[in-house]
Amino acid sequence: MAWTEQHVRRLFWRAGFGATPQEARHYARMGQAAALRFLLDGDGQGEFSDIPPARIHGQPLDPVNEPGHEVLWWLDRMVRSRRPLVEKMTLFWHDHFATANQDTPLMLAQNQMFRERALDTFLRLLEGVMHDPAIQLYLSLAGSRKTAPNENFARELMELFTLGSGYDETDVREMSRALTGWRKRRANGITTTYWDPNAHDDGVKTIFGQTGPYGPDDVIVLVTQHPAHAPFIVGKLWSFFVTEPLDPATQAALVATYRASGSSIKAVVGQILAHPALYARLHSPDMIKAPVVHVAGVLRTTQTPITLRRYSPLMTAMGQRLFRPPSVAGWDWGTAWLSTNAMQARVELAGALVSVGSKTLRVRSKRAAADWTPREHVDAALETMGRPWIAHDTRAALLGVARDFHGSGPTAESAQALQRLLCQLVVSGPDAVVH
Amino acid sequence: MAACYDRNEITRRQLLGRGIGAGLSLYAAKLLTVDGLLEAAHAQAVPDAPVLVSVFLPGGCDLLGALPPLEQLGRYNDLRASLAPGDAFTPLPNESRLGFHPALADGLGGGVVGLFANGRIGLMPGIDYANPDLSHFHSRNFWERGMVTLQYGSGWLGRWVDVHGSALNPLQAVSMDERLSPILTTDRLPTAAVTDPEAAAVRFAGMGSRWAPKADAAWQRISSLSRATPAAQAAMDVARSTQAVGKLLAPVGDAALHAPVAYPEGEFAQRLRTLAALISQPLGLRVATVTAPGEYDTHDNQARDLTKALGELSRGLSAFQADLEARGIADRVLTFVWSEFGRRPKSNRSGGTDHGAGGIAWVQGTRAVSGILTDFPDLRRLDEHDNLAVTVDFRSVYASLLEQWLGSDATQILPDAANAGRLALVR
Repeated sequence: MAWTEQHVRRLFWRAGFGATPQEARHYARMGQAAALRFLLDGDGQGEFSDIPPARIHGQPLDPVNEPGHEVLWWLDRMVRSRRPLVEKMTLFWHDHFATANQDTPLMLAQNQMFRERALDTFLRLLEGVMHDPAIQLYLSLAGSRKTAPNENFARELMELFTLGSGYDETDVREMSRALTGWRKRRANGITTTYWDPNAHDDGVKTIFGQTGPYGPDDVIVLVTQHPAHAPFIVGKLWSFFVTEPLDPATQAALVATYRASGSSIKAVVGQILAHPALYARLHSPDMIKAPVVHVAGVLRTTQTPITLRRYSPLMTAMGQRLFRPPSVAGWDWGTAWLSTNAMQARVELAGALVSVGSKTLRVRSKRAAADWTPREHVDAALETMGRPWIAHDTRAALLGVARDFHGSGPTAESAQALQRLLCQLVVSGPDAVVH
Repeated sequence: MAACYDRNEITRRQLLGRGIGAGLSLYAAKLLTVDGLLEAAHAQAVPDAPVLVSVFLPGGCDLLGALPPLEQLGRYNDLRASLAPGDAFTPLPNESRLGFHPALADGLGGGVVGLFANGRIGLMPGIDYANPDLSHFHSRNFWERGMVTLQYGSGWLGRWVDVHGSALNPLQAVSMDERLSPILTTDRLPTAAVTDPEAAAVRFAGMGSRWAPKADAAWQRISSLSRATPAAQAAMDVARSTQAVGKLLAPVGDAALHAPVAYPEGEFAQRLRTLAALISQPLGLRVATVTAPGEYDTHDNQARDLTKALGELSRGLSAFQADLEARGIADRVLTFVWSEFGRRPKSNRSGGTDHGAGGIAWVQGTRAVSGILTDFPDLRRLDEHDNLAVTVDFRSVYASLLEQWLGSDATQILPDAANAGRLALVR
């Protein structure tokens, strides 16, 4: 397979939040193996890139106390991290194990757990989830006790987290018994959870036709050994990265990798990222960017530090509010991200970027002279905005826009207005919605 | 137990990865001038054209908690001993069969209870489908698409738009939300999601009035291209629709947006307020969706959570109805309130209820057939999973709404319409 800057851009968008022009050049030269190594293992050059950390009104973020800052705190990581795949997978797990409506310290602790185990084994990750106070509270696992087992967590554990199908109502009820024992308590002003052996039902349960005095750790083993589990989880990972349908042979290969590696997420993701299907249709991408991916990507590829609180409500307007997924099923992805409200917000984001979001972009997006040709205009706008992908016909349309813009003849003023418009169009137009 | 992975069963992501824009893009960009758009919208805005509003209660609203069956009070108290004291619901004049959760009396004129007492509500207890699937995700998708199969497809009202709608007017189908409801997902015709009509325009920074028309034309240019894949084409289409929505909403001023009645605080009520304003304008709005706030998935803390959710619902819906009536447009608006399933009759001892069958829905409006339109499930005859019996299929209700309210052939919209029964829902 040829390996070009286009390939690097596709890989970095799908596995992270876009490639800067420098990254695209560098990893096009280094080759696919080096690019994958960087994404999967990092390059040992520190946690963050050279983009300065987020500051709102000149102050560092206060994610625990300032409403909206928790969203910016994570967005900031997506923008600056030198482990973009880890942040992308943290987003995947946030959607997969969707949790909402809990105290911010618990949500941030869960987020950190997802980050630490993002590419670990699924067993380790699920263990973290099972013991995570935020999801225990969200899904009524906390308070589910021997005398009153609650089905909520067990049902979602099988339906949404591990199996999808292949279990019945008896399994739900028996598993609920096995998962009893966590209780709620108030500590340091917030509600959290603890394990109370007296609240746990240590009797014999029958789950998937197997019988034993099962507890939470046994349940983790039972669900991950269920024959439906590996196909379920590799299928979901595949469709997070690739729009092509998963063919049976590839699915079998991913399942084999997953099982042979002891449920290694990194092994499966690495195999998906190397698969030719990820690089299909490089010149007509067809995966809709999730709102946070879009916003983090525009900031990252233009090397823009976060200085506006407004990115948080803008992402909400685009249909995605981090730490507030709409339900335990997470967000609806794909074309479900598209709406007129969301599109309007994407345009507003572009305007914010070139006006108040970045001094560099503000200055550069106006830099134009009356004698610039349409081609110079379009190329300058693409350069300013981090060389985002645009289709050939979009380029032709933008050249047309540049030709027709000035009316009676270009002036310094009309050239600046045109340049500023082109900068906004290339990061908000329909081509910027897909990757 | 089937332990094998069913490869034919689609995943959530596959299901949702397809959606809008899967078909042809019909509407020609050349026609997208302000005048052309307004003309198309006005042409559709037949003065008496009926409007159907869907209000979704996400999470599975508890029928027995919302509408306690007074006729079956003894059995009810046995099942719900830990949840609801037997005297805590609002009885109704001239109605001995059921009472209402007290929170449903919140709001203008006695809230939902007041609307019921004034003949504005037709209740459908026991609504669901045969062999209900107790997964939120599956059940919600069945209701949203109007079919009980895990197949890809547009929303049930999206299909109505595709058959009867305009190729030019996205405001014909509006989700009052950041996102488009899956109910309104179409295969080819445009739709809209609106949160703030006054901030809906596609506007670029630093253009001023001098360059704004150029910027407008530029957006039109880059959003009028063809794309080879459905998703990329959908992005094109929605970009074009976004500009159309901005232009169509630009003339809607403060006077129209100002409501003649006082709405309560909160996003839900504000969205209903905006919706009433949009319906009152000649915008050709025909179908709309709103999602109710609050926690209906009451596995625990049901007493607290259901009270809060139903109270906010009742305050919002009663203000909305009063607004429509004050504006003189109530006779052409029918509101359909629904949830994806019901809850288990026996409470779960965490102070909550688990997923169950036999849920709750109602039609609301001046032309809704009022009263109790379906049999209340018999609490002594639970099914094999200890759930309520289903007394009406939601597809019967959809078919009836399509025929009686939207005046359409239900068999064109719902695959199961021919085999579904009908209820009288409209007078």
